[in-house]
Amino acid sequence: MESKKIMICDDDQGIVEMLELFLDLEGYQVLSETNITNLTKQLIAYQPDLLLLDLWMPVLSGDQLIKIIRNTPEIKNIPILVLSASVDGRDVAEGLGANGFIAKPFDLNEITSSIHDVLAS
Amino acid sequence: MGKRASGINELNIYLKALNSAYSGIIITDNLQHDNPIIYCNKAFENISGYSHDEIIGHNCRFLQAQDRSQPERYILKDCIKNGEECKIEIRNYRKDGTLFWNELFISPVKNEAGQVTHFIGVQNDITSRKKAEHELREEKNNVEIKIQQRTKELQEKESFLSSMIETVRESLLVLDGNYIVLSANKHFLTSFHVSSEETVGKLLFDLGNKQWDIPSLKELLTHILPTSNPVIDYEVEHVFPHIGRKVMLLNAYRIEFEGQYKDRILIALEDITEKKEQDLRKDDFLSVASHELKTPLTTIKGLVQILQRLSIDHSDNKFVSTLDKISAYIDRLNILITKLLDTSKIQSGHIELHMEPFAIDHTIREAIDNIMVGVPGYKINLFGSTDATVSGDELQIIQVINNLLSNAIKYSPGSNRIDVAIHRVANFVKISVRDYGMGIANVDKQKIFERFFRAGHTQKKFPGLGIGLYVSHEIITHHNGTLWVESEPGEGSTFNFTLPIMRTENDGK
Repeated sequence: MESKKIMICDDDQGIVEMLELFLDLEGYQVLSETNITNLTKQLIAYQPDLLLLDLWMPVLSGDQLIKIIRNTPEIKNIPILVLSASVDGRDVAEGLGANGFIAKPFDLNEITSSIHDVLAS
Repeated sequence: MGKRASGINELNIYLKALNSAYSGIIITDNLQHDNPIIYCNKAFENISGYSHDEIIGHNCRFLQAQDRSQPERYILKDCIKNGEECKIEIRNYRKDGTLFWNELFISPVKNEAGQVTHFIGVQNDITSRKKAEHELREEKNNVEIKIQQRTKELQEKESFLSSMIETVRESLLVLDGNYIVLSANKHFLTSFHVSSEETVGKLLFDLGNKQWDIPSLKELLTHILPTSNPVIDYEVEHVFPHIGRKVMLLNAYRIEFEGQYKDRILIALEDITEKKEQDLRKDDFLSVASHELKTPLTTIKGLVQILQRLSIDHSDNKFVSTLDKISAYIDRLNILITKLLDTSKIQSGHIELHMEPFAIDHTIREAIDNIMVGVPGYKINLFGSTDATVSGDELQIIQVINNLLSNAIKYSPGSNRIDVAIHRVANFVKISVRDYGMGIANVDKQKIFERFFRAGHTQKKFPGLGIGLYVSHEIITHHNGTLWVESEPGEGSTFNFTLPIMRTENDGK
């Protein structure tokens, strides 16, 4: 069975590198993007099975991006897991139709279990 | 003989009468040289202290002793010279040298030719009357001096007050009962960039661009004079002429100055614009800082977890336990950052409470049990119970009890005992956490509930941010309860808080 593809989008290089390392160990194919403006292009090109998205990024905020993804036919069905350090992140994520929310700072067990849940459904 | 005898008898009666008179009477012979006294009665002897023999033949002036320059003396001299009557009050001296005031009346006696042959002098000792008059005058002088002193004191007091009013770095206005400005201090004029002419004599509500014309403020001000209730910390945010948008804190009091000025109002204004901005900046900073700190912490935490996973297969125990310790300290750092964020949220009024009914006894017991696991050797006793249900955010209340317990442990080194008591007090549950530690100095008792306050001596010995009690206090206040401390240095502290009871188990039964 081919391993699942996960796209990580966060403007913090540290988080991205750590998650790449971890998800790679967990046996996923990992792609990452720190520049949010490139993300839609990347998503269309790679068609990942899941997007891990930080909600609070400069230039284009995560909530705007979710709207764009949901309105772009080629990628509108990609499941999205929102990562955020802000308290109202959960409400924003749920309101926009994200598939899950993980509060920063997170425990890696939360990442694996959330990914499992989303991919299983 | 009979006629002559009766004449002598008559004369004796007259002399007897003169001798029984209360006034001193003398007769002088104006035709002899230097106007000698030729007769004096008994009373004159008594008044002057001289005997009859010492008096006869002398001029009256011997009564003046050395006191020769009185103006009355010249009046007397003129009258004698001109043969006229006169009445004077003159200082005379007795034989023993003591002073007496003599009310002297003299009257000339003339012969058929109109020549003044004698003078009759009648004298009354008016010393006691003079003394009374003198005392009255003295008294009057004293009163006048006192009045002058009092006036001076009042003037000094007033200039003292006015120099204080001019010196304070707060804007002050004095109003009369109709809110007309009676005076404005220098600080008011400079901070509002206005002149005294534009201010004094004007209605408060007409000042500037009617910045004080606020219905709710007017309402409060109308209560000051009848009730003496001051207006405290009334905030006015307004675009003022010349100085732009400012936040002013207004306090108003009825002035009572030793019973005077009862219908005056003192208004004190403080510009808190900068303070407000600083608070806002501090909150923004805290919220940004804690967010920024959490991001790398997430990375570190993840990386450590990856190492922990990798180490399961091939690592020695020391490596594993080191990683576990790093992980534990990361969690601690995370809690500190979360607390900072909590504080900034509370400070900007964003405390969110999820109110639900819960059984307080159970919550407190569980919180104690959880803490006890982490501090082996410590004995936390729980006394009392309430069977009460309170409405509140259970997680926040747990945070409060955790804060109080961990403080109790932290600040009582050398002790291993904490007593927690839970009781019903009227419509409240009262929870007390008593430690047997170092206690709190009186001066610090209020300050410990302030944000980032650390009691002086604890700064170095005990690490911490100084926000636990602040957050706890805010949480309890938002639950309509109170949090306070009772403590003596060296004798431990008891932190108490109350929560309103929603219902008890016995209700409805």
